[in-house]
Amino acid sequence: MVIFFVLPLLLTVVWSVFERTMFWMEPAFTLFSYENFFFSSRLENFLSSMFHSSISVVCAFFIGFPIAIFIRRRVKKVAQHRVMLLFILPFMVSEIIRIFALRPILSRNGVVNSFLMDMNLIDSPFSIFVFTPTGVVIGEIVSFLPFMIFSTFLALEAIPNYIFEVCSDLGVNRRRMFKDIFLPLAAPGLFAGSVFIFVNGIGIALIPTILGGPGSVNAGLIATQAIIALDFPLAMAVSAIMMFTLMGLLYLGHRLFNLTKLLEPIS
Amino acid sequence: MKKSNAIEVKNLIKTYGDVYALNDVDLNISDGEYYVLLGPSGGGKTTLLRSIGGFIRPDSGSVVIKGKNVNNLPPDKRPTSMVFQGFALFPHMDVVQNIGYGLKIQSIEKNIIDEKVNKMMDLVGLTGLHNRKPHELSGGQQQRVQLARALILENDVLLLDEPLSALDAQLRKDMCIELKRLQKTVGISFVHVTHNQEEAMSVADRIAIIADGKMIEEGTPQEIYNKPKKQFTAEFLGEKNILIGKIHNLNKSKIVLHINNDKIEIANNNYNVSKNQEVRVSIKSESIQIKKNIKSKTNEKNSIVGKVSEITFLGQFVRYLVLLSNDQEIQVRSSQEVPNLKLNDQVILYWKLDDFILHSE
Repeated sequence: MVIFFVLPLLLTVVWSVFERTMFWMEPAFTLFSYENFFFSSRLENFLSSMFHSSISVVCAFFIGFPIAIFIRRRVKKVAQHRVMLLFILPFMVSEIIRIFALRPILSRNGVVNSFLMDMNLIDSPFSIFVFTPTGVVIGEIVSFLPFMIFSTFLALEAIPNYIFEVCSDLGVNRRRMFKDIFLPLAAPGLFAGSVFIFVNGIGIALIPTILGGPGSVNAGLIATQAIIALDFPLAMAVSAIMMFTLMGLLYLGHRLFNLTKLLEPIS
Repeated sequence: MKKSNAIEVKNLIKTYGDVYALNDVDLNISDGEYYVLLGPSGGGKTTLLRSIGGFIRPDSGSVVIKGKNVNNLPPDKRPTSMVFQGFALFPHMDVVQNIGYGLKIQSIEKNIIDEKVNKMMDLVGLTGLHNRKPHELSGGQQQRVQLARALILENDVLLLDEPLSALDAQLRKDMCIELKRLQKTVGISFVHVTHNQEEAMSVADRIAIIADGKMIEEGTPQEIYNKPKKQFTAEFLGEKNILIGKIHNLNKSKIVLHINNDKIEIANNNYNVSKNQEVRVSIKSESIQIKKNIKSKTNEKNSIVGKVSEITFLGQFVRYLVLLSNDQEIQVRSSQEVPNLKLNDQVILYWKLDDFILHSE
C-alpha cells in the first residue's frame, strides 16, 4: 500500500515543485508549474473535462442502473451472471481499438448518421458525434458503462429476495420501489461506479485523443502533452491537482452523504 | 353461535413439475382463531400459507377470505398481511420507518402514521427503540418489528411463515407467549406455519398437520397430541412407539392384541376393527413405566418384557431404549432414573389401559 500508492503520490507532489531543465528536472521549490496550469487555458480545459465527466456519470447512471435493476429483477437467477458476462466481452478487445471503432460509427457518414438519414429522421448528418466534447462523452459512456452496471448489480444482488416479497405484500409500486428500495440500497454501488467513471473521464487521455476535437482536452491529456513536451514538473503538477480535486470531492461527498455509512454492508 | 369463517380453502392444488406441493387441501379457519399449520419440512405448509397470502398462484381450487374469493388478487389487494421467515426488514430504514412504510405508500398523513406507529410499538413491546436500524436490534426485536409492520395495516388475517425459526429456544418460548397474547389483543385470525411442535402446541387454538401436500388431520392441541387419529400424526408428534399386532380378542371395552409372543390389552374406543385383523398401535414414550425385572415372568397384565439397549440422560428426562423379544425398539421417557438399571438388564414395561391408541389404517 505504502510502496504502490502513497509513495508515488508523494513523489508526484514533490516533483511538481521541481524546476524544469532541458530533458529532466532538478530539485527546487518553485510554483512555476502551478502558475503555468492555473493561468492558462489548461485550467479551463481541466474544468470542462470535469463537467463532461459529470455528464458521462449522469448518463451512465440513467442507462446503467435500469439495466442492472432489470437483470436483478427480470432475469432468472441462474442466467444473471451469464448476462453480466456479456458486458465483460467488449473488454476482450483493446481499448484503443474499441474507441477507435466508434469513429466510423459516429462520423458524418457513419453508421448512426446513415441510419438516421435512411429513416428520414434528419435531413443532414450530425457532425457533433465525433471530434467534439459530445464525442468524448459518448466514448466515455460506451467505455465505462459496464462498470456502472457491474457495481450497481453487485449492490442489487446483495438485496435479499424477501424485500421484494414484503414490497408486494405492502403494495409498493415501481416508482416508490425505485426511490425507496433500489436507490438507497444500491447507493454504495452507484457511488463506486460514479467515482470510477468520473476519475477515468478526467484521467484517461485516450478517449479525447481519438474522439475529441481540438476543444476537448482532459486532465490526462494535459499531463500527457506536458510529458511529450518534456515538461515533467507540469505533468506532475497536473496529476497532483487532479489528485487533490478528487480527494476534495470525496471529502465533500463524505460530508454531504456520510460515505462511510453508505459503504457499510447491509445487514 | 357458530363463528363465521375468516378463511375458506377449497380443493387447493399446486404442482411443481410432477410433484404435488398441495394435493387437494380443504381448510376452514374461523374469525379470531389462532390456527397453526404444523408438519415436516417440504410438506406443503408454506405453499399453503403463501397461496392464502397470494404469493403463489395455485393450479386449481379456491381461497375465500371473509366471504370474498381472492383467487385473482395480488398479495396487497388481499385482506392479509404476512410475517416472513427470517428477519425480513428493510435494512436501510429504522424501526419507525419500517413499521410505517406500509401506511406511507398508501399516502396517509404523516402525523396519523406516527400516531399509529407509536401505538403499534407499544403493543408489540418495542417502546423506546424508535430510531434503531435493524442491525442494531436483537432477533426477537426484529421479529416484533415485522409483526408491527404487518399488524399496522389492520387486515383481517395475519399470516406467519416460520416466524420464530431463527430465534434461539428460550426466546422462541417467550415469543410464543407474546404471539398468543398479541392475537388475543388484536382479535384477528392468525395463521402460523411451523415445524416445531412445541411452538405449535403453545400458541394454537387449532392445529392442522400438513404433510406430503395433504391435510393429515386437524384438531385442538390436546386432541392432536393425546388422541391422534392418524399414525403419521402419532409418529410426527414426538417420540411415539408404533407396534404392529394382531387382534386376538375384543369386546366393547377392551382389545387383546398379540405382538409376537407377547400379549397386551388396550382400551377399545369404538374402533372399527375385527378379530384377527392386523393393526398398528402407538404409545407415547412418557406414558410407559419402566422397572427392573427380578422374576423371569411378570404378573402385570399390561406389560411387556425387554432388554435395555441404551440409556441417555436428557436433563429433565432419562430416555431408555428397550429391545423387545421381536427385535423392535421401544423408547421410554422417564422423569426419574431407575436405580441400578444398567445396559442389557431385563426390564418390564407397563402402562395404563388407555395409553395405547389404535390406528386403523
